[in-house]
Amino acid sequence: MPHKQKAPFWGLFNLVERIMSYIIIAVIIVILFSLGSALLGMVKGGKEGSEKMFKSLRIRISLSVFLFVLLMFSGYMGWIEPNTTMLPTQ
Amino acid sequence: MSNQDYYLPHGTYWPIIGSIGISTTFIGFANQIHGVEWGGSVMGLGLAILVFMLFGWLGTVVNESVNGMYNSQVDRSFRWGMSWFIFSEVMFFAAFFGALFYARILSVPWLGGEDNNMFSGATSALETTKYIWEGFQATWPLTNTPGAVGQSGVEFSSGFALVDTWGLPALNTGLLLTSGVTLTYAHHALRAGQRNALVFWMIATIALGIAFLGFQIAEYGHAYHEGLKLTSGIYGSTFYLLTGFHGFHVTIGVIMLTVILYRIQKGHFDSDNHFAFEGVAWYWHFVDVVWLGLFIFVYWL
Repeated sequence: MPHKQKAPFWGLFNLVERIMSYIIIAVIIVILFSLGSALLGMVKGGKEGSEKMFKSLRIRISLSVFLFVLLMFSGYMGWIEPNTTMLPTQ
Repeated sequence: MSNQDYYLPHGTYWPIIGSIGISTTFIGFANQIHGVEWGGSVMGLGLAILVFMLFGWLGTVVNESVNGMYNSQVDRSFRWGMSWFIFSEVMFFAAFFGALFYARILSVPWLGGEDNNMFSGATSALETTKYIWEGFQATWPLTNTPGAVGQSGVEFSSGFALVDTWGLPALNTGLLLTSGVTLTYAHHALRAGQRNALVFWMIATIALGIAFLGFQIAEYGHAYHEGLKLTSGIYGSTFYLLTGFHGFHVTIGVIMLTVILYRIQKGHFDSDNHFAFEGVAWYWHFVDVVWLGLFIFVYWL
């Protein structure tokens, strides 16, 4: 029963999967930054803060939609594999 | 900065009502755990008092705000209050994501004999596991707790297929992200003073949130039917705690968005002054990002 080995995301065997994981995590980090930037805008308040908040949230949702499409497309192309079955690691 | 007087709130009875509500809830809950007959209903009563307190207290705050009793100093304290609440929420989810990462990256591989753990003298992974749970294999998702099974030959990890990533989880991610988009349109409409568009996009956001919750309940039914329970090893525990608390937050978000929609109908906001909307919008975007993280780390990576 040679299950395909599924290594954790920091040490993937498959180079494509590894590269995709780094890209995905990089996009997540940028999303978190824009969410944080929106929070700073909200705390600041006033016209300027409100503007900053709205723009940051717009970046955050655009990147999230992009990431979702990227995930689905990568899964479809087989660049990354979903966690759908039990996969022994030894 | 402000030359206005320091705002002094008037006396109020809402805090004591909140205390009574919390005490009643916990007395009921404790007795429920001990199997006392009236435990459940007393807990329900306590929660009802809490909900009453929330609506009453926050309603008072809204009325005071609408009547122009607040100055810029109060506005700043609201913003800081919201940001501290958000900080606690971020820490809350960080703890659960941390538990998932710890189990998956460290503790489960250690049990399987990896790295220099306490059995590092062992010559092989096979020998390592012999000392704890013989035959244990570090797998992910780990759906059985090693202590409970394995000793008597029960499999450590039953090999059922988990929830299909392409099905409901992907659909739900799409729904929640779409709600983020509609909320962004609502935000824009509010800032641009387009009232009808604002109401339309708010209703769309709320509807998408409710649809998400419906599908999430369906997915739980499906997963539970397949045998994935809260007790299904570290995977089952982290899966249900993360997605469950997320679903709870979506529920809170839907309630808050509905209150904001009501306040929009009442004309409480204008294009320059809408902190309540901003707070709820940020919260919704946050819950959206948490789901995206869940979708990626539970279902994909």
